[in-house]
Amino acid sequence: MKVSDKFPVFAIVFSVVCSIVYVVSVEKNYAMFTYHPALGQFGAGVEKAGADGPAMYWYGWIATSTLAGFVAGLLACLLPRNVGERLSPALSWTVPLIGSVVLAYILRNYFLH
Amino acid sequence: MFTTVLLIIHGLLAVALLGAVTHQAISVWWKARKPADSFVSRVRAVPATSYANAVVWLYVISTILGGVIYPDYRLNVRVVLEQMQMPMANGSFELKEHLAVLGLACLPAYWYFWRAPLAERYTRTRAALTLFIAFIVWWNFLIGHILNNIRGFGS
Repeated sequence: MKVSDKFPVFAIVFSVVCSIVYVVSVEKNYAMFTYHPALGQFGAGVEKAGADGPAMYWYGWIATSTLAGFVAGLLACLLPRNVGERLSPALSWTVPLIGSVVLAYILRNYFLH
Repeated sequence: MFTTVLLIIHGLLAVALLGAVTHQAISVWWKARKPADSFVSRVRAVPATSYANAVVWLYVISTILGGVIYPDYRLNVRVVLEQMQMPMANGSFELKEHLAVLGLACLPAYWYFWRAPLAERYTRTRAALTLFIAFIVWWNFLIGHILNNIRGFGS
């Protein structure tokens, strides 16, 4: 399969931006939409849980971060070739790795009680 | 019943993914130095490139299935774990869902750097991405398995 020579730039930027935006979305609750599992209903943006049951933001966080990563990746492909080639491939795993440590820290109260 | 079927399929896909990514990680990080003449040597000598597409597809499908059955967990399992005062179990699951997304974020890069013919300059990136994804898959598999054991099958 033929792949554009811009794809590595897209892939690296997607990985970096998607990871960062996901961590921020979790911490600040920037969900693009909310799912109410007890009702089987979606709502735009962040909606609070009601008397009918919990609200789920995970899908909304994925949508926010994937869209951000995708747009940033496409924009990065528009950069001149020499700028894109300066991106270190190591960013594609170091940023998600750091993101996972930050998320574990955010969740620390579950483990320290 | 439908959720149970999906959960079993999710588990089976996870087993396949675990096997694929573990073989690949071992063959990258513990390369065979001599002709394979034992079980362990053969594991170390597998052609790592051949696993990449399988890992990507299995990871994506397994995550989508996990997302489909997640509302059932949220309604029927998480509440019970809270009542049983098991915050560590809930926290482990929260981390599982977050790690799954960070793994997804890596997949385009993982797929690209594992494309044949393998570029020598990406050897370390390939190895690191594979190890990171293998860690996520192991964590998610074990936590999913443990939580399922806590709640009990079909309860």
